Amino acid sequence: MDALLTPWRFARLITRPAEAGARLAADTPDTPAVLLRLVIPLSLIPPLFAYIGGATFGWRLGGGEPLYISPAGLTLISLAYFIALVAGFLSTAVVARWMADTYGARLEFGSHLSFVVLVGMPVILASLGHLVPHVFINLLVMIPALIWSLYLLYRCLPAALGTSQERGMLMASSLVAYLLVASVSLLGITVVLWSGGIGPNLGV
Amino acid sequence: MVAWLTGFAIFWSLVGMAAGIYVAAELVWPTLDFGREWLSYGRLRNLHTNVVIFGFGIAALMGTAFYSVQRTCHVPLFAPGLAWFCALAWQVVILLGGLSLLAGWNGGKEYAELEWPFDIAITVIWVSFAVVFFGTIAKRRIQQIYVSNWFYGALIIVIAMLHIVNSQAIPVAWSKSYSLFAGAQDAVVQWWYGHNAVGFLLTGGFLGMLYYFLPKHADRPIWSYRLSIVAFWAFTYSYIWAGPHHLHYNAVPEWVQSLGMVMSLVLLAPSWATLVNGVMTVAGAWEKLRTDPALKFIVLSLAFYGLATFEGPMMAIKSVNVVSHFTDWTIGHVHSGALGWNALITFGTFYFLLPRLVGAELYSHSLANWHFWLALAGVMLYVLAMWGAGVSQGLLWLSLDEIGELRYSFKDIMASMAPYYALRLVAGCSFFIGAVLMAYNLWMTAKGRSVVRATPPPVVGEAW
Amino acid sequence: MRAIDLQRRLERHSGWLIFGILLVSSIGGLVQVLPSVLDDGLATPAAGTVPYDPVALTGRDIYIRESCSTCHSQQVRPLLAEVLRYGPFSKAGEFAFDRPFLWGSKRTGPDLHRVGGKYSDAWHRIHLLDPRAVVPDSIMPAYPWLAERPADSGGMIQAKMRALRRLGHPYTDAEIEAAPAALQGLTEVDALVAFLQGLGASGSGGSP
Repeated sequence: MDALLTPWRFARLITRPAEAGARLAADTPDTPAVLLRLVIPLSLIPPLFAYIGGATFGWRLGGGEPLYISPAGLTLISLAYFIALVAGFLSTAVVARWMADTYGARLEFGSHLSFVVLVGMPVILASLGHLVPHVFINLLVMIPALIWSLYLLYRCLPAALGTSQERGMLMASSLVAYLLVASVSLLGITVVLWSGGIGPNLGV
Repeated sequence: MVAWLTGFAIFWSLVGMAAGIYVAAELVWPTLDFGREWLSYGRLRNLHTNVVIFGFGIAALMGTAFYSVQRTCHVPLFAPGLAWFCALAWQVVILLGGLSLLAGWNGGKEYAELEWPFDIAITVIWVSFAVVFFGTIAKRRIQQIYVSNWFYGALIIVIAMLHIVNSQAIPVAWSKSYSLFAGAQDAVVQWWYGHNAVGFLLTGGFLGMLYYFLPKHADRPIWSYRLSIVAFWAFTYSYIWAGPHHLHYNAVPEWVQSLGMVMSLVLLAPSWATLVNGVMTVAGAWEKLRTDPALKFIVLSLAFYGLATFEGPMMAIKSVNVVSHFTDWTIGHVHSGALGWNALITFGTFYFLLPRLVGAELYSHSLANWHFWLALAGVMLYVLAMWGAGVSQGLLWLSLDEIGELRYSFKDIMASMAPYYALRLVAGCSFFIGAVLMAYNLWMTAKGRSVVRATPPPVVGEAW
Repeated sequence: MRAIDLQRRLERHSGWLIFGILLVSSIGGLVQVLPSVLDDGLATPAAGTVPYDPVALTGRDIYIRESCSTCHSQQVRPLLAEVLRYGPFSKAGEFAFDRPFLWGSKRTGPDLHRVGGKYSDAWHRIHLLDPRAVVPDSIMPAYPWLAERPADSGGMIQAKMRALRRLGHPYTDAEIEAAPAALQGLTEVDALVAFLQGLGASGSGGSP
């Protein structure tokens, strides 16, 4: 069953939500295997695209001149991006595993992790948009991807984690709540770091 | 009457959201007002906020308060004539008030724009609301007053206090008055009002709805009654202090700002205590989801309640606020609360309530499912668009270059908001279409049927 | 256990419950809001801050009517970048005659507290009537009707000044007497421009 654990197979699974849950449920992958074969390689993709795009074209944030960040700065941002992604996958899986009892889902951490990867897959693929570092283009690509991710979350959770439709719906909503709170915390922490003098030069 | 109020609430939600979509479109295409005063952004935006908060919010709260207080006290309403007066007079105030806002009558204080004649009318109606509500409680046949009634009670009492103090003004003409408070003092009073209108109306009032309808839907008692008691008092005590976080780094005393920030952080505890209580109540009642589309909305509303009550205290921290203040992040925060929490829990309640009121099955479960998805996508996109816009604004406004000069002009930053504003418009439309589906669905459910009159159930022992 | 006893009592007597809610919810207001309202320091005008003259007062009321404060703040925060962008930061005493205050909560457009004197009257006039004529990317609404109406079409200026005098604004009888003449022949846009040009005039010095 190891053949399942390739990014390529996962990319194909997201186009077949009906099948994806059952495929994930069919085996119990090892946590280290999921980590090494899926989480880490996939988390490398968006930072890589962001680096290439940022170095070649510069980020268009404002309407003015594109913002060129120094190679050192860009490396640092890409690294932070990578760490945030890995942390995001892992923490979401930990939260899902923690809630498993309450919602009668299966308990193997590897399954939770691979499910979270499946859900994150559309967004990872959409990070292709980072190659053209323009906010509007990225929004255009990211939004449908994000909606697809949400759909996969609700659609595949019951089968993949072995719980009933109804409890799966509750669990998916709880995960949405966690993801929202986690992203806003990330936003808050970044902002505190900026206003504390780390990162861009702010006049505060 | 509850059915009427439900109808009004849905009507105002559609009007309010349509106005919201229109102003969102004006931020993308600024000439959309066609040079007409009453279509101008400044006036329509006030119509949007007032109709959503006071039209939709209060109509929904009044309706559900009248419904649940009778059932938790096991008696019919006290002074039903007065209750009818409240319900209908309120709609008249919203209608005429809305028109007055379009005509440019404006008190100038945010979320309290209606001029003094309306302020007086609101006070009269509000007092009658209080008489009906507390009158019903006073003649109850159950000794214990159920927790949902405390939240509704706090809504009535605290909003009365805030409204009466904040609206103090000297009238000049029907359409014009001057605030009794000036400058910095006016600011402190206004945000004491503004923040707690959100607190006791949009949070507290809707928690009353949650505490009655969630256990009803789930058909099991609230997970921890004691937790709900502690959360209630902590909430009522601490919310009122948090207003000054709207005035960080503004010209008000430092101690007022710091106190506001600390109490905002404290507020997270009672807010999330309620969240835990709600989640644990549904978690044990999952079988109900099979038959009840309403519960889905309530579950999702809890997720956004969790976000909004976490995000709020976070944005009250001064070093976050320095970036987030004056930006679209605030707008996103408000909407994660208003769309994600208030609207979704109300929609869920209506999907539950209306079929019961008319004694029929919901017309279409699949339309309700579509509504759910459109609403989820709508709020999600809205929140993300505003996070993107807000953080960029905050960051770019403050950003300096190597020699300490401003890096970006205001104009350029504003121009770069276009994609976010376009996305927000799309998000709003998605949410609105969902609400239209609901209106149609409920209309078809109720069509041709009359309200089933329920007799108060007999009192069965003591719960405590 | 005593807390629970108290709770039972509140739960069984609606009068006690009402009283309890009122008591608990008013503490914050009493400790935090009341001292601010009684603090004379917040209400004392800063040096150079005087009541609005009839034209600026009329302009200010038009600013309120069109809800300009929905998109424009009037509050420069004591932050380096804001002082660089807008000018000296705002102080409480500068708002002593602002009823209501117009600090705003959102900057869709820039802050206006120090806008006075930054642009010419003619620029403001064009900008208000057709913003995109001077700022091509602007998303501000146009206000063509301001040029079509007399500034005080309601004839309210004296009533306004008397109402404000009751609230403590030091207008003299002579000033109130002369007010309609000052507004004679002006349009709404003239009054609004006069108000904008007077904004922040009293702010001198001040750095973060």
